Amino acid sequence: MRLQGVWTPLLRPGKNPRKRRVFDVKRGLILGFCAALLAGCATTPPSPEALTANDPYEATNRATLKRNALVDKYVVIPTVAVYFILVPEGGRRGVHNFLGNLSLPTIFVNDMLQGETKRAAQSLGRLAINSTLGLGGFFDPAAKVGIPGHGEDFGQTLAVWGVDEGPYLVLPFFGPSNPRDAAGLATDALIDPTNQIPFKQHIWWAAGREYFTLLDLRAQTYQTVQTIQRNSIDYYASLRNLYRQLRQEQIRNGKSEKPADLPDF
Amino acid sequence: MRLMLSRRAVTLGVALAPLLTRAAFAANVGESFVANNIQSGLDILRNKKLSTTQRRDQFETFLIGLVDIRRIALFTLGQYRRSAPPEDVDAFVGAFKNYAVAAYQSYFSKYTNQTLKVVGSQERSPTDFIVQTQLIDPGSSQPPAEVSFRVRTDGGKPVLVDVAYQGVWLSLEQRDQFVSFLGQNNGNVRTLIAHLSDLAVNLGKT
Repeated sequence: MRLQGVWTPLLRPGKNPRKRRVFDVKRGLILGFCAALLAGCATTPPSPEALTANDPYEATNRATLKRNALVDKYVVIPTVAVYFILVPEGGRRGVHNFLGNLSLPTIFVNDMLQGETKRAAQSLGRLAINSTLGLGGFFDPAAKVGIPGHGEDFGQTLAVWGVDEGPYLVLPFFGPSNPRDAAGLATDALIDPTNQIPFKQHIWWAAGREYFTLLDLRAQTYQTVQTIQRNSIDYYASLRNLYRQLRQEQIRNGKSEKPADLPDF
Repeated sequence: MRLMLSRRAVTLGVALAPLLTRAAFAANVGESFVANNIQSGLDILRNKKLSTTQRRDQFETFLIGLVDIRRIALFTLGQYRRSAPPEDVDAFVGAFKNYAVAAYQSYFSKYTNQTLKVVGSQERSPTDFIVQTQLIDPGSSQPPAEVSFRVRTDGGKPVLVDVAYQGVWLSLEQRDQFVSFLGQNNGNVRTLIAHLSDLAVNLGKT
């Protein structure tokens, strides 16, 4: 009965045809995401190497990475190319700044949840300055007056609170992750104030924002990803390691790791 | 009372002085090793008077003199180091050397316009140091890149065993790749050597 209650909203669309279309897209995405995750349960048992690497779903993860790479190759990269042609560097920087400004409330909340009051004050200061003097965030005058930007998310907050990362996962569309960071991703979406504003066609705003975030991210990482692909013996394993090391670096807020954490040579 | 306290402080200071001096000296071994040598490597890569072959040869000589290639190669083999035949391990060390020279040259050639500044160090053990540096680009408004070097001195002279760019250690990343590759290829080190050799050739072309 309870299970039925959970699934009922997914199975019963509204009567309004416009709402139903949006609902169908949402439902498709949620069901597709669940199906991709459940597919992980139907694979062969993990190899000893996969277990040692805390990657018991390696076979599924590799398949998801391949699918993501196809989406990247045939959908994202051509769009990035068009974006580069149509939007000059200054415009791309403005879009990057604007998207970063939209993330500042979420970053501020996570700064506070981690007890990082100085960094929280920086986030708040950046939000106030860039939203006003920076014309809605398209410019970054805060950096010029000595308030540099930083990233923070709920996955990092969970890590600071002592939550273990869990096994490695490759999420459809989102890429490298783990249960802690996936939970963080969902929580950040709930924290984000722009997702709380009830207004018509909110889904188009949200989709547009995600689309431009992806474009911006891919435009910035294009060369790095190419270098990793070209220099790797095993691109999947390389990406897994880089993701974990970079996340650790982000959780430490750029501070050096403890020497004892490094392995013996 | 005050006199007693100051006497205690002096006694404590005298007792700790040799320890502090030794730690500072040891840290300086790593720091001066990095400060004196890494910039020379960048200088070779930015020397436009050298031909591509000369630059590669000079960089290889420079790198082999500084880096403990065998130690890194064995580390990147992970658990397969123990199970692989000794002749395969030796062949792997040779292939890894060519790959490492090509990879390090590829990584560092992007930073030839930058200068290296040692900003501090940590001691992991009396013969194992992590030296923190910054790569400063005079023409950029971006903050300097954080690069760390791991230096070991247990072989009698300082040698470089790993490098980290913005917190990502290269040898750790290589070990994960190689172990994963070997896991999918029945632990066959010969297959890894073949792939590594191809990769070194491709890296040399870029």
